[in-house]
Amino acid sequence: MLQLSPDRVRRILSDPSFVELSSARAKLRWGLSLLTLFAFFGFIILISAASKGLGTNIGSSNIPIGIAIFFGMNILVVCLTGFYVQRSNSRFDRLTCDIRQEWER
Amino acid sequence: MRALWVITFLLTALPMSAYAQTALGVKHGPNWIAIGMFLLIVLVTLAITYRSSGSTKSKVDFYTAGHGITPLQNGLAIAGDFLSAAAFLGFAALVYSTGFDGLVYALGFLTGWPIVLFLMSERLRNLGSFTFADAASFRLDRTSVRLVAATGSLMVVLFYLVAQMIGAGKLVQVLFGVHYIYAIACVGVLMIVYVTVGGMQATTWVQITKAVLLLAGGTLMGLVILWHFDFSLGRLFVDASKIHPKGTAILAPGGLFAEPVSAISLGLALVFGTAGLPHILMRFFTVKDAAAARKSVFYATTCVAYFSLVTPLLGFGAVVILMPDSNYFNVGAGGQFDKVTDLIGGTNMAAVHLADALGGPALLGFMSAVAFATILAVVAGLTLAGASAVSHDIYGQVIARGNASDAEEVRVSKIAAIAIGIVAVLLAYSFESQNVAFMAGLALAVAASCNFPVLAMAIFWRGATTRGAVAGGLVGLTSSVLLVVFSRTVWVAVFHFAAAPFPYDNPALFSMPLAFLSIWIFSVTDRSARAKTERQAFDAQFVQSETGIGSFETKPNVVRHVA
Repeated sequence: MLQLSPDRVRRILSDPSFVELSSARAKLRWGLSLLTLFAFFGFIILISAASKGLGTNIGSSNIPIGIAIFFGMNILVVCLTGFYVQRSNSRFDRLTCDIRQEWER
Repeated sequence: MRALWVITFLLTALPMSAYAQTALGVKHGPNWIAIGMFLLIVLVTLAITYRSSGSTKSKVDFYTAGHGITPLQNGLAIAGDFLSAAAFLGFAALVYSTGFDGLVYALGFLTGWPIVLFLMSERLRNLGSFTFADAASFRLDRTSVRLVAATGSLMVVLFYLVAQMIGAGKLVQVLFGVHYIYAIACVGVLMIVYVTVGGMQATTWVQITKAVLLLAGGTLMGLVILWHFDFSLGRLFVDASKIHPKGTAILAPGGLFAEPVSAISLGLALVFGTAGLPHILMRFFTVKDAAAARKSVFYATTCVAYFSLVTPLLGFGAVVILMPDSNYFNVGAGGQFDKVTDLIGGTNMAAVHLADALGGPALLGFMSAVAFATILAVVAGLTLAGASAVSHDIYGQVIARGNASDAEEVRVSKIAAIAIGIVAVLLAYSFESQNVAFMAGLALAVAASCNFPVLAMAIFWRGATTRGAVAGGLVGLTSSVLLVVFSRTVWVAVFHFAAAPFPYDNPALFSMPLAFLSIWIFSVTDRSARAKTERQAFDAQFVQSETGIGSFETKPNVVRHVA
């Protein structure tokens, strides 16, 4: 079923580079996922809790708070994915490359 | 094959030009720009298909375009797959009729993307080769887990496809007065040709063409609307609230998300459904490695977010510009009309009418053609995903046990694409009056309750076993479908019972946790020897999913399937 022998798998699992890669990426992955979900479902709950307030305008402008949050959330989503990709490109790809050079022969 | 090409052209071109002067045409006479644009799009996409037809011999080429798509191309194609007619016409229509609530809907669709990126894209690319079932059954039993995943995929594909076909039929009907059955038959024939003749290569390029057209068209309309309001968003909102029958209520949350249980349930289906859509997940195999898969999601997310930012301009712009003009409405005998429900062709046509109001027949023609291209591209992607679930998962791995030759699998795939196309046309014909949003919602609910839990647990949880994955997948599939049947939209609206046993519209809040719970219970209680082997195999899966060692990318020209 798999190309990797059990012995090889065990050795890769204890490779410090692999440990660094998998734990750092897990932290980033779950952290950003939770942040995304909190932001979106927080907004949903805010909507059902304070629907009137979201219709009031920001300061003296004519832009309602709810719609401003909508714009902000769109930008947040792009920033979060951008951050993940940037971190992966700079840090995780290098580690992956090292690990593969070490173990893939 | 040339004959097939000519037949398609005739089938597509004739009914459209023959009936080209009704509905919207009444106002301007036949819209030759629209007809010309439609034909141009059909010709361009068929030319793409013709050029790709050489590269559909092996299954690597047919399913994944030889893993040769670049991240930017794939990102555009993903956005093309995702921004269906529901997104373009539907979101604008929702904002037009409900205001703020429509924006939350659009946001829900967008929020699925970071989740796809963080949890799915890279691991999927490292573990699978053609379909997401490859990754789900990586260390689990190939036959049963694949069957569940393929069934989930087919269900999602069919519901989504029928929803798109109904939308397409209505659009073409309203624009050209073509009879509904001709309209959906044309779409059906075109999508079968794209997929069977051009495979993933053609499907991808049709998606890219459509995505570029849609983004350009959206930008153009957004700019014209902004210019109309002196680039002041505040003025747009104030004017919209003065004209809309609901007044300032359209700027605040209304009925759609007022009740927290329904709102969260809908949100879950929108967010996690995206991470379980087979035609989206399949796109990660068209690029060369996990890094490219990740980059393509970033491009796709940016495009989807950008389009989501244009949505309020289109929706509120349509309110201000269309509502005072009775030309766009079915006006009653006394000159009375409802500013929302009496829009010609229904609220889904708001964006199309807006194009006419802003730029006359030229912009109307362009935007209608964009909407048509949108539908063609999405149905082609769905058909390909459905066909590969049949040929690669069910035929290749379950029936032939991995012994099918490349040529056999590709042939089965083409036959499956034709069959799916015919079934979709027949279903779209018999469900003509069905609510499109409900069908699309059902597809997302099944994707979030069956495909997503099985895939996520198989790739992230060491303890998951075949028994758990199969039980959880089936529980998610049946519970989501049953709860929809018992909900108001089907039980009351379709079967005409007095009260619905299930009080909410969307099942995801219940069916999704139920699926996860079933996977967990049936896995931890599984003490078989097979379960033990499967848990031990997690380490090897973990290494491959994190590093890509042993994954398909390393030898792109050698078909080495995990056999």
